[in-house]
Amino acid sequence: MKVNPLSPEERQKAFANSKKPEVVRRQQLPVQYHVEDHDLQDRPRRFLEAFAAILKHTNYRPALEHYVRVSAKCSRCTTHCQVYLATGDPRDVPCNRSELLLWVYRRHFTVAGVLRGRLTADPGLTDEHIQRMAASFYDCTACRRCHFECPLGVDHALITHLGRYILSEIGIAPRALVVSVREQLIGASGNTSAIPVPALLDTLEFLSDDMKEEKGVDIPFPIDQEGAEYLFLPAVSDFLMEADTLMGNAAVFAATGDRWTVGTGYFDGINYGLFYSDQVLEKVLLKIKAEAERLKVKKILIGECGHASRTAKFFYPTYCGGKEALPVINIMEYTWQRWKEGRIKLNPDVITEKVTYHDPCNIARPGWIVNQPRELLKAFCRDYVEMTPGGRDNICCGGGGGTVSIDEIRPYRTIVGGRAKAEQIRATGAKYVVAPCANCKKQLRELVEDNGIDCEIVGLHDLLYKAIVFDKQG
Amino acid sequence: MQAWIEFGQGPLFRFAFVLMALGLARIFVLTLVNVAEAYRRNPDKIINYREVFNKTVAWFIPAGRLWRKRPVYSLVSFLFHAGLILVPLFLAAHVSLWRQSTGFGWFSLPQGLADALTLIALAGALILFLMRAFYAPARALSRRQDYAWPLLLAVPFLTGYLMVNVSVSASGYQWMMLLHLYSAALIMILIPFTKIAHCILAPLSQVVTAVSWKFPAGAGDRVLETLGLEDRPTWVDKPRLGIEREMTRELPEVKPAEKEAKAS
Repeated sequence: MKVNPLSPEERQKAFANSKKPEVVRRQQLPVQYHVEDHDLQDRPRRFLEAFAAILKHTNYRPALEHYVRVSAKCSRCTTHCQVYLATGDPRDVPCNRSELLLWVYRRHFTVAGVLRGRLTADPGLTDEHIQRMAASFYDCTACRRCHFECPLGVDHALITHLGRYILSEIGIAPRALVVSVREQLIGASGNTSAIPVPALLDTLEFLSDDMKEEKGVDIPFPIDQEGAEYLFLPAVSDFLMEADTLMGNAAVFAATGDRWTVGTGYFDGINYGLFYSDQVLEKVLLKIKAEAERLKVKKILIGECGHASRTAKFFYPTYCGGKEALPVINIMEYTWQRWKEGRIKLNPDVITEKVTYHDPCNIARPGWIVNQPRELLKAFCRDYVEMTPGGRDNICCGGGGGTVSIDEIRPYRTIVGGRAKAEQIRATGAKYVVAPCANCKKQLRELVEDNGIDCEIVGLHDLLYKAIVFDKQG
Repeated sequence: MQAWIEFGQGPLFRFAFVLMALGLARIFVLTLVNVAEAYRRNPDKIINYREVFNKTVAWFIPAGRLWRKRPVYSLVSFLFHAGLILVPLFLAAHVSLWRQSTGFGWFSLPQGLADALTLIALAGALILFLMRAFYAPARALSRRQDYAWPLLLAVPFLTGYLMVNVSVSASGYQWMMLLHLYSAALIMILIPFTKIAHCILAPLSQVVTAVSWKFPAGAGDRVLETLGLEDRPTWVDKPRLGIEREMTRELPEVKPAEKEAKAS
């Protein structure tokens, strides 16, 4: 995949820092995203302490140990990183980004590195190096595409994840993420979008009324149904911004008749812990567990959201009981299954415009949800086209790794991060781009707006809602 | 001179070979121990072994995937590795030396094929070196050892090829033998301590990555404790659900107005 190089103006716009110079000076952190004020004293020492504590209590050491031994610097990953393809800056080669942290590990946590440091009077980790890491690890969208192209199996996204985690422990993390998480864990609303329960209930009732009008059947959002089969947790922002997706979700359940519920105790699938802190990752999943136990549900059902699905699917067992943990499924899996069983009827004549599908990295990369949405779309969209590359090898929307929530780096995301994606979308000429992920949707909307592409970004269930048919009308 | 050669053939070779074997065995076992420890530490035992296996063999049988991106580089590096591995292990002269000294021997390559593979490995080393030097992103990545390795690896191949295929004077032959022996010994000594360790560790990469994505439960809090940061706002002992704060279930007054707004 070739990506047009950045023009000098674009480069300047993408990397312009919107922060006030005095803030940058005060925090000694020339990064594009906002960071809360934090302790500047002895940053390198505290970084190393945090690194050591994390190595002690977590499972990262085997990976670091292994990666510093095998990394051959072969440069194959240059062909696979959408950020590097756009900037052409060697610092954006995934292997080079990882080297920032691997160097610290080698220098301070291996015998050879410590000895060499002593012998050569090397100062070791400096504050400048920390600043470089703080900038670099948030330039990466953690999409894990480069992992496929590394012959030695180095997972650069794991390194990015760890780098961000260590940085967050010394107070360096995007304010946008930190503030949302604080609201989610200790705020009054208990969710990242700060939606109070009354507002939620109001919205859902409102949507039900709308659907009654449009479809002529009762399509409820069951609230706090004890003993329901599924506890439904979409990205909470869907309740504010993606009414169509929610209506599609509810319509599917109205058609299948399965028991599902939205819990007023906790109704947020978003987990920013994946993007910067394992501690947060765990705390948020424990909230899901508490709500699932309160309502005695049998399965966790995540809405159309890539990272929410991945965190629940792959980390819920880790933090909530191993093999005994409740099973986690994604709403698209559910819909696909029920459609296969013939319990959902779709009218193939409603969507006639050209439709394409964008794979959210977090659910497509592990090969988990790739074909199900495609089969569904092909069943009711007359003109379905593929993006290339797609599926497991898809290109990130450019807002992955939590960067989409950082509004101040929008120019970077739409000029650099999403550059390859924009060209891909333009090449399909599709009217609808189906992106079943709250993050991807936000990023892609900004991307097509900033790049002047004429198309509409929707969720899978948005379209499905238009096509779903109910037997007994009225 | 002859004494030096004999030293290279005897004690030096044995030392270098044993060091390599033990060094590689050490890091291989250490990695496995690390993996087992990481696996034991976290409660989530769900690992997609099929995926791990598929990804592991994918790069050993690279047909179909190598050629999609940078085909020339891919082809060169694949053939380079083939020559690098096959010739030292299966050259007839090497195998017969093993048979003489230990009594064990194994399958050997026909001389013509071995020569061809040697030339391929030499050309590969040269091309890879040049690519590293002139392809900008690769140059940005490269450390000193990355440039040195293709050149060092080429030395025993070049001298070996010349000794077999080019007639030189007796002293020239001796010099080449000396270089051949000593460079090979140096390579063997360095392998376990440098990036060439990937010759034995590469098959473990996927399983290492798979267990590393398994985060032990409670580790986040233990990290904060160790760092003395229990006053972090995200430090919550028990998940707090909205319901526990007795939130009112009454619908707010704004509802009709909102409905009107939506209707119009």
